[in-house]
Amino acid sequence: MFVLLALHLLIGVGIVASGDRLGRRAFAVAALAPLATVVWAITQADAVLDGRPVVVEVTWVEQLGLGLDLRLDAFGLAMVALVSGIGFLVCVYAVGYFSHPKQGTARLAGLMTLFAGAMLGVVMADHLLALFVAWELTSVTSYLLIGNDDRSPRARAAALQAILITGTGGLVMLVGIIAVGHTAGTYRISELLADPPSGGVISGGLVCILIGAFTKSAQAPFGSWLPGAMVAPTPISAYLHSATMVKAGVYLVARLSPIFATTGNWRLLVLVVGATTMIIGGLRALRQYDLKLLLAYGTVSQLGFLMLLFGTGQYQIAQAGVALLLAHGAFKAALFMVVGMVDHEVGTRDIRELHGFGSAWSPTLVVGVLGAASMAGLPPLFGFIAKEKALDGYVEHGDFIGSGAIVIVIVIGSILTFAYSARFVLGLFGVFGTDDADPRSRAAHAPSVLFLAPAAVLTVSTVAAGLAPVLVDRLVRASTLALQPGVTPSPVELWAGFNTALVLSLIVISTGLVLTAYRVPLGRLQRRASDAISWIPSAEQGFLACLRGMTDGSKRVTALVQNGSLPIYLAVIVTVAAVAPLIPAVSVFPSLPKLIDAPIQIPLGILVVVAALGAAVVRRRIAAALMLGAVGYGMAGLFIVQGAPDLALTQLVIETLATVLFVLVLRFLPTKWADRSPAIARPIRIGVSTLAGVSVFVMALVSSAARDDVAAPNISEEMIARSAPDAKGNNVVNVILVDFRGLDTLGEITVLLVAAVGAVALARTGRRRLIPGRREQGHARPDQGAGS
Amino acid sequence: MPQEFVGPSIDWFALSPLLVLLGGGLFLLVAGALTPRWPRGWYALASASTAGTAAVLSVFQWSIIDRDGPGTLVAGALAFDHFAQFMTILLCSAVVLVSLLCDDDVRGTDREGPEVFALLLMAALGGVVMASANDLIVMFLGLEILSLALYVLVASDRRRSESQEGGMKYFVLGGFASAFFLYGIALLYGGTGSTNISDIVAGFQAGVSTGREDALILAGVALLLVGLGFKIAAVPFHVWVPDVYQGAPTPITAFMASVGKASAFAALLRVLVVALPFHRDDWRPVIWVLALLSLTLAPMMAIVQTNVKRMLAYGSISHAGFMLVAFEAAGHRAGEADPGTGMQSVVVYLAVYSALTIGTMAVISLVSRAQGGDTRLTILAGLATRHPVLALSLTLLLIAQAGVPLTSGFVAKFGAIQAAVTEGSYVIAIVAMAAAVIAAFVYLRIMVTVWMSTAPGADRQMLAYVSLGAPADDADGDAADGDAAAGAAATSTSTATATSTEVDTTGAAIAPEAITLSTAVVIAATVTFTIVVGVAPGWFLDLAANVTNYAR
Repeated sequence: MFVLLALHLLIGVGIVASGDRLGRRAFAVAALAPLATVVWAITQADAVLDGRPVVVEVTWVEQLGLGLDLRLDAFGLAMVALVSGIGFLVCVYAVGYFSHPKQGTARLAGLMTLFAGAMLGVVMADHLLALFVAWELTSVTSYLLIGNDDRSPRARAAALQAILITGTGGLVMLVGIIAVGHTAGTYRISELLADPPSGGVISGGLVCILIGAFTKSAQAPFGSWLPGAMVAPTPISAYLHSATMVKAGVYLVARLSPIFATTGNWRLLVLVVGATTMIIGGLRALRQYDLKLLLAYGTVSQLGFLMLLFGTGQYQIAQAGVALLLAHGAFKAALFMVVGMVDHEVGTRDIRELHGFGSAWSPTLVVGVLGAASMAGLPPLFGFIAKEKALDGYVEHGDFIGSGAIVIVIVIGSILTFAYSARFVLGLFGVFGTDDADPRSRAAHAPSVLFLAPAAVLTVSTVAAGLAPVLVDRLVRASTLALQPGVTPSPVELWAGFNTALVLSLIVISTGLVLTAYRVPLGRLQRRASDAISWIPSAEQGFLACLRGMTDGSKRVTALVQNGSLPIYLAVIVTVAAVAPLIPAVSVFPSLPKLIDAPIQIPLGILVVVAALGAAVVRRRIAAALMLGAVGYGMAGLFIVQGAPDLALTQLVIETLATVLFVLVLRFLPTKWADRSPAIARPIRIGVSTLAGVSVFVMALVSSAARDDVAAPNISEEMIARSAPDAKGNNVVNVILVDFRGLDTLGEITVLLVAAVGAVALARTGRRRLIPGRREQGHARPDQGAGS
Repeated sequence: MPQEFVGPSIDWFALSPLLVLLGGGLFLLVAGALTPRWPRGWYALASASTAGTAAVLSVFQWSIIDRDGPGTLVAGALAFDHFAQFMTILLCSAVVLVSLLCDDDVRGTDREGPEVFALLLMAALGGVVMASANDLIVMFLGLEILSLALYVLVASDRRRSESQEGGMKYFVLGGFASAFFLYGIALLYGGTGSTNISDIVAGFQAGVSTGREDALILAGVALLLVGLGFKIAAVPFHVWVPDVYQGAPTPITAFMASVGKASAFAALLRVLVVALPFHRDDWRPVIWVLALLSLTLAPMMAIVQTNVKRMLAYGSISHAGFMLVAFEAAGHRAGEADPGTGMQSVVVYLAVYSALTIGTMAVISLVSRAQGGDTRLTILAGLATRHPVLALSLTLLLIAQAGVPLTSGFVAKFGAIQAAVTEGSYVIAIVAMAAAVIAAFVYLRIMVTVWMSTAPGADRQMLAYVSLGAPADDADGDAADGDAAAGAAATSTSTATATSTEVDTTGAAIAPEAITLSTAVVIAATVTFTIVVGVAPGWFLDLAANVTNYAR
């Protein structure tokens, strides 16, 4: 299986790397990969359908528990049939579609192959994390495919929307996967199926997983990206956005429902979302004039339907889901191909500009009509069988709360499906063609045989599966067994007897016919109804509002937090640094010690305080520097009073030096500060300074009071005792610096060294002469040595 | 009767990486100053080979530790363990790569000379000292060596006022941060009676510290966190990052994002996980808050930026948030026999992010040099048509930063999230994932620009479009607002940006970037690392798993 995935990768990268050299032949090359997969799948089919899955286990990252375990069971086989079977046909079709390749056409083929590989990864992965990896790769390739026409802003916006929604969903899903996998102790789907976990974390994780599945399968309210994605060329839409990628979410729900349907709110969520999507998609499809958009909304509706079928966790209903999955893949891809042919030959997909076709188009129209009939659920086609099975499953086996309501939803949804299928057919025959549009479709050149063949193949398979369901019976039954081992799926039949489902089908068809007959007044009614509720934001508007809100919000945050002002940055840091230690310190605030030991401390203290306040208030720089010096000298005086003359001496020397340096530097600066800051800045500054002062004061008290508690012997006494005998020094401070903590002093010298190096470097680069203008001329020219 | 004085025994070979870095730096400086200008590239070669030698020596140390177990050096001043060697190798490799980048960047400018390269070596020396410090004073020395070198490196481009401004801001704020750090050490000393990490841990184990000095310890930890939080650039201490990253010469930005951040995280680990596991329940919530703020605020601010280096600066803040997520997970197990995977995830993330950021900056440096030092996002437009391979490399590096599977970035992010989930920190794990989405959007914006085929100047609308996904005409208005907001908000830095925005570049023919050998080597190396670790990360995670056996 890895060989197949590697083959996709190889061919895909090869085509992308070859640029536009291959032109549309690239699609012929690309067809090899799915063809090989189909051939391989056929050779394995017998064993797989007998319930013996193909398993390949590879450990990828053992430490993180990441495995690349692949497993192909019957349901996987059904998905492979979709991914590779339709993939092959789409490639063939694309050769005809891109008869006039533009720049970037070949790249489409390469990306499509890469996508096919990623999608195969999704359906073959047994390890949830491997599935996630492939899942994200499909999002990325889909993004590139939608946005392939990089000159079109519409394409780029649609691509962006698609990847933002599906990518976000994917990452949310990853959280869910980790939560579930971690709690359950395994990431293997097969092992989860064998031993279903449960609990609060699992329920939460499942909601996350479902969000991922809903975004991928364009369920409400995340479905807005799918219609937008229709800007991609039709072969891409037919493949990714109807047959395969959008099924990934459905696939995941199908896989997990038998395990988790009754855990948490899984079933409720899936059913509500699926039902909403099915109805809304159908209603919107009815209003489209663009055939492709009509199909896109139809796809949304059908995806909702699939969710309803797979999300219950009941095998009888899931069996209908498998049938519908296959049927939908076949008819929807064929219909997309037909639309693509119309678009290609006539130049429009708008049903108001179509006025019927010449007789050479008959085969194409037959394909279109049969596909639409299958979509509408008319006997004896595959679509009919699938829908019958679905209704039957719900009516006979839906024994959970709300199953009756879901039956009604399915019936209404099917009526809508019938109606938009009819609209599609009528549009194709030119019923909606307006008089003022150029009736060019009548004279349009009919598509070539090769162009038509893939759609025809799909249509034939739809009819064949409808007339002889035994062809797919084994696959559907084995798939159901693969999803939920140990059950007994019923056979797939065209005529299942006269039952409730048949009655419902008849209701669907007759109501659908009525809707079609009265489509004009009903359309007007629908427009009026939707105008009336237009104040409710659509998913599309919601998405844009989110984006806009994010941008606006981030602008506001940035303007607030990152305003470029050094004083404000400093204020933030100082405030945090002042408050953070204050919190633990206040709790152990000691009683105030004796504040005054000697009378001389009072004038000195006043000097320090006044000078400090003065430094903050004066407007001349030099005066502020001198005030700071006064603070230092005052401190030196306090040191003397406390009996530390050496410390005072050091302080005096340093203060003097600092003042001299200040004066030297201040020569180059304006004498006064120009205070241009707003009025609000002043109280803030005062507040921050006060806070810092209070914090330091409290810390000083707390830390000096804490010293008594330290159990270790007083280190200063030992140092004094050892300084003369050990280090032959009488000044204990000197001995500490050069002996006891000599290594630290060495390090400090290194720091000074670096500071000196830095200063020298700055000075030297500043003085070095530059050849005038050489940097401005563009990139540096290395061959000229710089003069120094 | 005092005992005979016995000097500490010094294992010189174990110190060799440090000595090589120091010697190399001094040699480069002295020899460079005394001799005439060396032929081109030789300064870079000298510093790269010095750092390379140090890294190789560290590999030898690694095997010695494998054999003998961890220990301490120079009377307990330095730790000799796998973690120290891992960081040494990481930092030295970063120096090798950045030296090669600097060579291209300074050539032909007034910065050409030995100083920049000597400072790179000195900064790495400081980083290594920080990472292997077993004494808080020694750690402070390392911090100062690193910081002083970085201040100068940031400001080294004296012809650009942005560089000067960045250097100044970094210096002033960094000075405060260092002071807080030192104050924190003092308080911690008051609380524990020692600055030596081994002694501190022993003191806790003996149950010496109780009662009031707890407040001292907590206040000390708070101040240490302020100092280190500044260096790792976690919100709310991140304010300097965008201005400094944007202002610094591009290779230096890469250096700060790799060496600067890695050293600070190493120091954070030594202080919190190694020295203060007994207070883990006190500092873990702080880390949690820092992580949360960094994760949520940084990508929000990145979205509206129009300067690619500024975008990446915010990206680096959000990456710091991710590392803090893993760090928080490590905090749950600090001091236990089974350390969990948190710390391992942090070092993996550090290594991965360092490679990614150096590679990304290499490409940006190349492109921006060809456009006269401009670093706005628009310079990347059309890169795909000029240099497809370069564009592909940049794209790969960016998607790795966004955390896309099969790249190293995914392995790093996954490790962090998994560590958090394993320890039950679900809230922060989910926030991290959500933040990753917004951050991914930022990288996506850069990628889209790279692959746009339109020339710069014409794509103001395009950019607005990309950033909003809305119809082009009203998006344009929004983009203008965005520029105005940025211009009004940031004083001088963004004023420069705003002014240059007005310069009409429409129709200006763009000379294709000249890719030099040294930059090409850097890009190739980082891309290879990204892919190799992304596809087959097993060996790398095994290596990283060793680091949790700290010397105490």
